[in-house]
Amino acid sequence: MKKSTQNNPNTVAWRFYVVLAAVVLIYAGLMARTAYIQVIEPDMLKKQGDNRSLRTNTKTVQRGSIVDRNGHELAISVPVETVWADPKIIFDSNALSMDKHWQALADVLGQNVNKLKVRVTKHPRKRFVYIERKVAPAMANYIRELKIPGIHLRKESKRFYPTGEISAHVVGFTNVDDKGIEGVERVYDQLLTGENGEKRYRKDAKGRKIEILSVKEATPPKDITLSIDQRIQALAYRELKGAVKAFKATSGSAVVTNVHTGEVLALVNSPSYNPNNRSGVAIHRFRNRAITDIYEPGSTMKPLTVLTALEFGSVEKDSIVDTYPGWMRLGGSRVADPRYLGKITLPELLVHSSNMGTTKLALSVPKDYLIDKFFDAGFSEDTGTGLVGESSGMMHDRSRWSKFELATLSWGHGVAITPIQLARFYSTLGNGGIKKPLTILKQEQSAQITGDDERIFSAEHSQNVVEMLEHVVNEQYTVAKVDGYRVGGKSGTAIKAFAGGYGNDYVGLFAGVAPISNPEIAVVVVIDDPGGDLYHGGEVAAPVFSRIMKGALRLLNVPPDANTKITLLQPEPKIENIPKERDHV
Amino acid sequence: MRSTGQDQQKYRTLWQRLHIDLPLLSGILALMTLGLFVVYSAGGQENAILIRHIKRISVALFVMFAVAQIPPLSYRKWAVPVFILGLLLLTAVLLFGHVGKGAQRWLDLGFTKFQPSEIMKLVVPIMIAWYVSQYDLPTKISRIIIAFILVLIPTLLIAKQPDLGTSLLIASSGIFVIFLAGASWKLIGICGGLASAFAPILWMFLMKPYQKQRVLTFLDPEKDPLGSGYHIIQSKIAIGSGGLQGKGWLQGTQSQLEFLPERHTDFIFAVFSEEFGLVGVGVLLTVYLAIVMRGLWIAVNAQHAFTKLLAGSLTLTFFVYVFVNIGMVSGLLPVVGVPLPLVSYGGTSMVTLMAGFGMLMAISTHRRFHA
Repeated sequence: MKKSTQNNPNTVAWRFYVVLAAVVLIYAGLMARTAYIQVIEPDMLKKQGDNRSLRTNTKTVQRGSIVDRNGHELAISVPVETVWADPKIIFDSNALSMDKHWQALADVLGQNVNKLKVRVTKHPRKRFVYIERKVAPAMANYIRELKIPGIHLRKESKRFYPTGEISAHVVGFTNVDDKGIEGVERVYDQLLTGENGEKRYRKDAKGRKIEILSVKEATPPKDITLSIDQRIQALAYRELKGAVKAFKATSGSAVVTNVHTGEVLALVNSPSYNPNNRSGVAIHRFRNRAITDIYEPGSTMKPLTVLTALEFGSVEKDSIVDTYPGWMRLGGSRVADPRYLGKITLPELLVHSSNMGTTKLALSVPKDYLIDKFFDAGFSEDTGTGLVGESSGMMHDRSRWSKFELATLSWGHGVAITPIQLARFYSTLGNGGIKKPLTILKQEQSAQITGDDERIFSAEHSQNVVEMLEHVVNEQYTVAKVDGYRVGGKSGTAIKAFAGGYGNDYVGLFAGVAPISNPEIAVVVVIDDPGGDLYHGGEVAAPVFSRIMKGALRLLNVPPDANTKITLLQPEPKIENIPKERDHV
Repeated sequence: MRSTGQDQQKYRTLWQRLHIDLPLLSGILALMTLGLFVVYSAGGQENAILIRHIKRISVALFVMFAVAQIPPLSYRKWAVPVFILGLLLLTAVLLFGHVGKGAQRWLDLGFTKFQPSEIMKLVVPIMIAWYVSQYDLPTKISRIIIAFILVLIPTLLIAKQPDLGTSLLIASSGIFVIFLAGASWKLIGICGGLASAFAPILWMFLMKPYQKQRVLTFLDPEKDPLGSGYHIIQSKIAIGSGGLQGKGWLQGTQSQLEFLPERHTDFIFAVFSEEFGLVGVGVLLTVYLAIVMRGLWIAVNAQHAFTKLLAGSLTLTFFVYVFVNIGMVSGLLPVVGVPLPLVSYGGTSMVTLMAGFGMLMAISTHRRFHA
């Protein structure tokens, strides 16, 4: 054996350096590879890891009900079941061969059996396909008995609106996923839904729960108690619908409020829709016109002008206004009464709806004062109901007002407001000058003075104007009278403005309060675009006003005051709270 | 009392008398300690697995210590007979071997199962180093060709079992000896060419369908994420989700939640990376690098061509283990069954590795001192 110990070590030595370099290089390579995976790619990989192990379980709760102030149900959830398919199971168990069963399933659902099968077979690896949503329990039981593998049922709830079109605009509706998309359903969606309980947990490769990461307890859904009195609501809707039809109007709205609490007792529009079957309903029917549509209020504003003059002190309640000669020129424009009225008292001014007299009163106070009072009355702000889509009207806040503009403003032109804003002003008037936000929710303590309350007119002058309104009803619009009660109100008729001027369409309004001795209720009726011979507010709106007012006063057990002459300056609230049947919010 | 310097001299010689290379031992123990922690975590925190692992470590350490006592030059006497015996055993495995996990790797000896390919991991480099070191270096081409054939026979026998990982390790251990012995670059080029020419043959005739599948999966793991790509995708997710800091010991979700297959054996690196992050990986790789460096240092300082070549080959084969395992787990290489040396749970390969380290220590400590 040859000895060959370090006879040529150099050759071997440099090989070792090559090896060393290679080792270091590979080491660096491995480091770089790991660093790449751990530092560059990790977000994606971490997510992938979580995708594999994180799961969220939601526990759904049934949506709360909406009831009126007396507990009558306006919106309830009824249990229904949704049919769904798991195509993978259907394929795995060869369920499609059960022809009779599928035919039965298709028949009960009113579907074509072939189309149904196609829907299920289109994505054979999918694990979830809706077959039919929200079927009645009886149907669900039938389907359950069919026992088709891979066809499952899931409990859901469906919204039902017992009052149908009467309260549709206030209550609104939900979509197929039980999410409120209109009205109270939308505004208080979160309360009604509650909050679904949620459990986040980690599972292992075999699907076992390993650790619970977070648990969110479900917040139980709450029921909502509205300020609406369904009896008044139904009455108002019936009367309004009749009037809209009789006067061939395009639409109409009526609002009834409790003047002391600001609670909306009824809010109706015609045309309305059936919330239980909304397919094919013209979109304009969904509109809650009482809060979204703006009209020029016309002469229904004249009481505000009178009140402003009283507040400023330019007139007293028994002052005489001289309307000679029955017309006047302001700037280039002419203001006139239909006939010359001569010297008139303030009640007469309202009874005859004198433009001359109102203009004189408006010009008797500084223009800023007048305009401030219009803003104070709540025109240009929302009324506080919180309903979706409420308009705040149109009231220009310009620095320069011509005298003619002030004159038109004083009789309700050049300003546009919603019916509910008008109702709020008349409520303020009936509430002795204290302005309250309107609310759609039942108030626990009526007439409580909160921070949102604001005295904008003196109690005395408010009462003076209310009494003048009684004259209007008694001497001019007797059609608005209610037997046994003293009622005050004012009509208004406005030519509808459209882009660039006025056309031939009218809006007839009537707004008022009752009982005069101690006002409880304010009612506003708006009849939009009456198509017949009658269009004046006193003709188309006043009768509706009268019937709604009459019904409301009786339903609320307001004592008749037709024989009382004593009026209280600080009225006490008298609306009885009907005892609660259930604990609602 | 002697001076401090003499004490150190004496201390050093104490380890040398025990034939222990202290730096090497430190690195090995460091890895084994890390291994204990990761095996505990990856093994579902079962004490039984941990205790078995500790037993194997103890056996392996004992084997290392025993091997280290044998003077390395004496291996030469045994090289040829043991090599021939090894070939016979490999043939026997193919003929009557015990089938486990779809491969014939074990010989059932009645009382225990025995894997001859493990022995060949040590015998092949000894054999080639013996053969090459008889003659002057660099070696002539004719001898290199003979050496190649000597490597090829056991490699093919093991590849046939099939055990791609081990045959790869054995082939590389022999080739490292030839390379270190000074095969010319021209020859290396030729061999490289032959190897690539051999690749299609390997693909068409030698590789089993499951091996081909592994290569295809390596090229595109997303093709079948729930089937063949599952291992590598889960493993990459595990590594990546560790991030810089790691999720902490016992906190790895991919591994603890059993998404990761083979997690306490071949894929233990993924568990380690998930729980200890890039920082842990840096430490682990650095320990490996230190061991390899020490092994190469021992090789360079060996006093005989045989021991030099053997030490170099053993060290580099160890490094191939590391590279192939981490490369596989991190998706750089196709899936080949190679454990992460000294960390993975697994008996036989740990014992073989430690015997190899025993040889390295023997080479490092059995030296003639020129006083």
